[in-house]
Amino acid sequence: MKKILSLMIVLAVVFPSVLGAQRVHIDIEARGFKRMKVAMPAFAGPKELADSVWSQCAKDLEITGAFSLLDPKGYINPGPISFIEPGTLKDWALIGADYAVAARVERQGAQVNLAVQAVEVSTARAVLNTVYTTKADSVHRGVHAFMDALMQKALGLEPIFSSKIVAVQKVGKKKQLYTMWCDGTGGAAIKGGGDLVLNPAWSFDGKKIAFVSYWKNNPDLYILDVRTYKVELFSSHKGINVTPCFDPTGTRIAYTLSKDGDPEIYIAPLGGGTAPERLTRSWATDISPSISPDGRKLAFCSSRAGTPQIYVMDLVTKKVERLTFQGSYNSEPVFSPKGDMIAFIHLAEDRRFHIALIKTDGTRMKVLPGTGRGDESPTFSPDGRLVAFSSSDGNIYVTDFMGTSVVRVTDTGGFTEPCWSPLME
Amino acid sequence: MRNAERVVGLMALVSLIFFISGCAKHGVQQVEGPTPPSQEEVITGTPDMELDMPGSEGDVSAAPQAMEEELAKFEQDRIYFEFDKFNLTADARKVLAEKASFLNAHPNLNVRIEGHCDERGTREYNLALGERRAKSAQDYLIFLGINPDRVSIISYGEEKPLELGSGEDAWKLNRRAEFRILGN
Repeated sequence: MKKILSLMIVLAVVFPSVLGAQRVHIDIEARGFKRMKVAMPAFAGPKELADSVWSQCAKDLEITGAFSLLDPKGYINPGPISFIEPGTLKDWALIGADYAVAARVERQGAQVNLAVQAVEVSTARAVLNTVYTTKADSVHRGVHAFMDALMQKALGLEPIFSSKIVAVQKVGKKKQLYTMWCDGTGGAAIKGGGDLVLNPAWSFDGKKIAFVSYWKNNPDLYILDVRTYKVELFSSHKGINVTPCFDPTGTRIAYTLSKDGDPEIYIAPLGGGTAPERLTRSWATDISPSISPDGRKLAFCSSRAGTPQIYVMDLVTKKVERLTFQGSYNSEPVFSPKGDMIAFIHLAEDRRFHIALIKTDGTRMKVLPGTGRGDESPTFSPDGRLVAFSSSDGNIYVTDFMGTSVVRVTDTGGFTEPCWSPLME
Repeated sequence: MRNAERVVGLMALVSLIFFISGCAKHGVQQVEGPTPPSQEEVITGTPDMELDMPGSEGDVSAAPQAMEEELAKFEQDRIYFEFDKFNLTADARKVLAEKASFLNAHPNLNVRIEGHCDERGTREYNLALGERRAKSAQDYLIFLGINPDRVSIISYGEEKPLELGSGEDAWKLNRRAEFRILGN
């Protein structure tokens, strides 16, 4: 027995390097999962530029949830260096680095070159040796390409950084839409939606954003074409027209209306033309629909049992099952992109609102520590490994499912209701 | 010549100061209490008052002022709710009864009820909760005999707190319904 066990350990240790770590399966839910440690000395090049690119790389490494940056204070050579010399690998091994990353940043006319080298310390394998060339004002896109390549080549993970987050930004007494890349770079306000906009939701092709605006003095639903910025009124029934959610198949949209007296969930074809189909029937509040990736199920929040809880409806049979039984306040469910999990808001034992996860069969509920100051509006990354959310300080954060990495994405405050887009072309 | 220039310059300066102070005063007034457009409509919509001639019994300015005060009171008296609840308390029903008698006395006025929540709970759920609070008040006014066509509702969820800050002192004031007069 002992022999088998030790053999298994040997295999586990040996195999990743034997396979060249081409496609290591990482079970992000496994308790034993540890983030890969990265040593990244200061980048070579014009100091101000090199340092700012380094800082963004450091932030993005943490956002991945798969890597963690070793404190540069412990480095034998803190840099700047542009190349990891093979003879120095033992130095990086000594401080526990799984990967060592070096880079040179240089200006070339109106362009910036980011030349990156990433080495797997234990095998001396060059994971990455690439030059990313971008316009001077979009160096962050070079960093995104680098990070996606590092995740893919080192750990076999899907890319995430070519995705955006849309959120609501408060400016003075007004609220407007705001989009940014998922690490907070390239932020831009979308003005002109009236004084109060809410509930932005990205379509699954990334081309549209549905949102609520009080443009006509009523919470009505609008759909924005992301490329032309043209806005169309989608729903303006008497009462609330809120919490839109696109069907991943791209043909329908689910939302909440109170036109029949109390908030109920409806579904309607995107093109309009047909009256919305009413899905829920209860005296209570039904709100915040989320459609599963296969388009078959609808998660929503309902107070039909006295307190807000999460329910799942089979969209074919219309049968409804209650999913959450723990706690007195569970709200804002969202399906993961793989459809196996639902993230939601849970009033935890510390009397704070936390992000929680639960399997779609109602098992393995897990409360994430988050910021611990009251978290809201969970939204999954395109690969389903991470959750972004807003906190009571008005900033957007990204966390992994272990909750060990909670990275603040925005700096200025005033942000609520993030929604993560799919990967953009 | 020089003197004349100086005088002109001085006059310009004085008038500039007056202009600036005038502006400032105007700005302050606006901040302190802009008259909601709906109220203006109501008051200018009673032309009889303006044509009242000297020597008549009534005080020309008293009537609109009294009306203005009544309107202000109507809009300032809010009703409050318990956490995550939308049922009406005894106090709320008392306030609503006053609203109903005011609306009965002024059949040309309509009201819009705004439902609000405190910051706790999710924004999405609070949009629904705000709606239900406004609806409770609307239903009760209709129960008291007000024509349903005269009472509209809107939910602002937790988006327009009356009191900033966290804690029950702020929260209990934010879980409310507000009443806005709309001209007919």
